[in-house]
Amino acid sequence: MIRMYRAVLSTQWKWARLVIVLGTIAGFAIPLVSIQGAAPPDRGALQAQELLHAVQSWGTLYPLLATALGLLVAIAAWAADHRGRHVHALTLPVPRWQYVLLRFGAGGLLLVAPIAAVLLGTLLATLSATLPPGLQAYPIALTVRFAFALFVAYAVFFAISAGTARTAGIILGTIAALILVQVVGGMAGIDVDLVGTVQTLLLAGPGPLAVFTGRWMLVDV
Amino acid sequence: MSNAIEIERLSYRAGKTFAIEDLDLHVPTGSIYGFLGPNGSGKTTTIRLILGLLRARAGRITVLGDAMPAQHARVLAHVGYVPEQPHLDATLTVQELIDFQAAFYPRWDQARAAELVSRFELDAGQLFGRLSKGQKAKLMMLLALAQCGDLLVLDEPTDGLDPVVRRDILSALLAYVSERSATIFISSHLVHELERVCDWVAVMDNGRLIIESPMETFKRGIKRLTVSGAPRELRDAPFRMLRRESENGAGESWVVANWEPGMLAYVQGLGAVVNDVIDLDLEDGFVELLRSFRGSAAGRTTP
Repeated sequence: MIRMYRAVLSTQWKWARLVIVLGTIAGFAIPLVSIQGAAPPDRGALQAQELLHAVQSWGTLYPLLATALGLLVAIAAWAADHRGRHVHALTLPVPRWQYVLLRFGAGGLLLVAPIAAVLLGTLLATLSATLPPGLQAYPIALTVRFAFALFVAYAVFFAISAGTARTAGIILGTIAALILVQVVGGMAGIDVDLVGTVQTLLLAGPGPLAVFTGRWMLVDV
Repeated sequence: MSNAIEIERLSYRAGKTFAIEDLDLHVPTGSIYGFLGPNGSGKTTTIRLILGLLRARAGRITVLGDAMPAQHARVLAHVGYVPEQPHLDATLTVQELIDFQAAFYPRWDQARAAELVSRFELDAGQLFGRLSKGQKAKLMMLLALAQCGDLLVLDEPTDGLDPVVRRDILSALLAYVSERSATIFISSHLVHELERVCDWVAVMDNGRLIIESPMETFKRGIKRLTVSGAPRELRDAPFRMLRRESENGAGESWVVANWEPGMLAYVQGLGAVVNDVIDLDLEDGFVELLRSFRGSAAGRTTP
């Protein structure tokens, strides 16, 4: 089983390495830049208001990076199998659930690199700066949140990518139907807020995608 | 003799136009079994059903003694497969594909793989997507052979290849069979190629099996007879009449299957004279069999 995992990991590394390398660089750079961006031009002490503003602005990049990485690594995991119409995968002598787990696990391991980069970047950024009184750095909490968001994004896109064109069609069709019902309801003067309800279910806590919302603060009160 | 592949009353439907109905197939262990049929006859579909890539509506498939697709992981560990279209990732090199495959097969023979890379003159560092059609076919065959399976399922493995590559592939295949006594299930419409290597033959058309027989029996039984003085109707013929044509008043030409020399007495008993008995090769026999099948199928569907 370890040999199989290594084989799958090496192919997925080959397909996703550019994304992983760029994501790792970005994950390392964002915390450093967010703190450096708040430094005054005269290199004087950091001001609380400016620092919070800069950290909050740059903080929007963490969920974006997590989503982009999750999406691209998930696509990379299945792209070759889709191109080969899954014939190779389906003729391998392993149960299908096991093959899916091997692919999922290989992608998951690759994502450890950008998470480690975020941890390293946040630690370095907070250790190298003198924070104004009353502010605290949360490098571990931010990294854990990033890791969670990354794995949620990866899991969701992995599940969608693993499906057939029909599955993708069903998902897109459901979204289109929701929007259509919303639009028609609005035109008919019926008070239907399906899109808002779905959004609340998904994004408001404890929704499955709630981790992506809210403020991503490396430094906060 | 046990069977490496057994199919019983298999039914499968793809869309509204194509269906396999009540297919029975028996591939003896250790045989080289040629699976013939024109394009679109259902050969690839049957192979995909055998390998568990498709689900049948009804029927039973047993491969190497295990039910498919229920036991597919266990069965596929002993089955080498070469698909009709190369399905491997174009961005991986020959060596990467060999390493990947080796990780999944418990009986993988690294020495054989290395020997075949050399014999097929493959560049281990070359990307699969950059290989020529012949090189791709050779690599697919290498991957199937190095698994050391008890059964090889080959779906048109030499289709569209030049004669040199075809010969390389077939000789590697025959060497493997003689060494391991493996069963080979090979589909093709290149009839001459199968005639040289197969000891069993089955012919399929339009989702139905027309014939399944040992190659020698099939070839020995297919004849063209030149007959004169035969009555219009033949009662209780011991052979199968595939085609009967008048030859401009100079008698008739019959193409028959299941012919044996002793059947001359039957024809003479009808008051007819057999002027000539001509052997047909597999290709002629295949064509006549298909014509007869299609003719009778058309007759059945004509109101």
